[in-house]
Amino acid sequence: METILSLFSDPVVTRALGATLSVVLLVGAWHKLKDPLVFSAAVDNYRLVPERLSPLVAGVLPIVELAAGGLLLFPEMAFIGGLLALLLLATVTSAVAINVLRGHTKIDCGCGGLSGQPLSWALVVRNGLLMGMVALAMQEGVARTLVWADYLTVGGAVLALVGIYVSANQLMTNAPLALAVRK
Amino acid sequence: MNEAMLVSNVFLWAVVLGLVVVVLALARQIGILYERVAPMGALMMDQGPKVGEVAPAFTLDSIGGGKLSVGGHTGRSQLLFFLSPTCPVCKKLLPVLKSIQNVEKGWLDVALASDGDLPEHAEFYRKADLKSFPYALSTDLGMTYRISKLPYAVLIGEDGRIRGKGLVNSREQLESLFTAKEAGVASIQEFIDQRA
Repeated sequence: METILSLFSDPVVTRALGATLSVVLLVGAWHKLKDPLVFSAAVDNYRLVPERLSPLVAGVLPIVELAAGGLLLFPEMAFIGGLLALLLLATVTSAVAINVLRGHTKIDCGCGGLSGQPLSWALVVRNGLLMGMVALAMQEGVARTLVWADYLTVGGAVLALVGIYVSANQLMTNAPLALAVRK
Repeated sequence: MNEAMLVSNVFLWAVVLGLVVVVLALARQIGILYERVAPMGALMMDQGPKVGEVAPAFTLDSIGGGKLSVGGHTGRSQLLFFLSPTCPVCKKLLPVLKSIQNVEKGWLDVALASDGDLPEHAEFYRKADLKSFPYALSTDLGMTYRISKLPYAVLIGEDGRIRGKGLVNSREQLESLFTAKEAGVASIQEFIDQRA
């Protein structure tokens, strides 16, 4: 049991998760910043802030995302970056959950600017998993000297996790179409 | 033994990453398949009235009062823009539509079309300041023109025939409809093919 727990705070795990989250956050922020008008309209669809404030919220969110993604890249800054990421994810996940409860799900989640993903509980679960990853990535990792095989593991893990994340998003985008076909 | 473990690890990573790429490709392909078989899916996009055919005519009530006539032999061209209050890209294109309406008013009328509950659309009409456009709600219109994705535009010529149509995500794509009309081809793609 001890061994398993110490595995979770191994620097290979914290760095791989940190770098994966960085990629996810930075790409998300870049998409949102690329087309601020569209993201502002996506924020507006959530009907949680007054319309006048949508552009402001749409401006602040990607900046926080950018900062969190950038900080998570560096082990010594990972704690602050993780806090920012948790704050951001908690905020946007509540927004999704509130709208799913309202039954107002036929809007684009705006996750990567525009992703074509409607709102669903799956999105809430996805963000919950991301938050778990953030919690692990924030840890002060056990200090040990890394060898080249560790870097192989980190590199492979980051690529694999990003690939799985993109695939999961694609499946969530497919889901409503799949339902439409079955009806 | 150590060497063997290292080699197996490197090999395993290569296989895992290969699998991830395959899963990603599969998920994307499934998505495309669903789009094709779903009701009103992508395959239907090119069904409905074709470019060059006479546009099915409609007379609809506009939200701001008055009527919106679609199609017919009016002597003026018409740009029919399908949108919805919850479509972010549509909102981005509204200023572009307003400027097109201004610049091209010598030969072109711009009309908006959507589908859904009147109160929601009336509020959108007011908030987005769309009173310079006729704006009609009609499920029938969307079904006839086979609209499955937004924002979608149909350009109808002065002779009542469809001169261009398609999904438009930017000013350039909207303007390419006019370019296609001027060149007398169904789409820019066809124009390029003709020249080739």
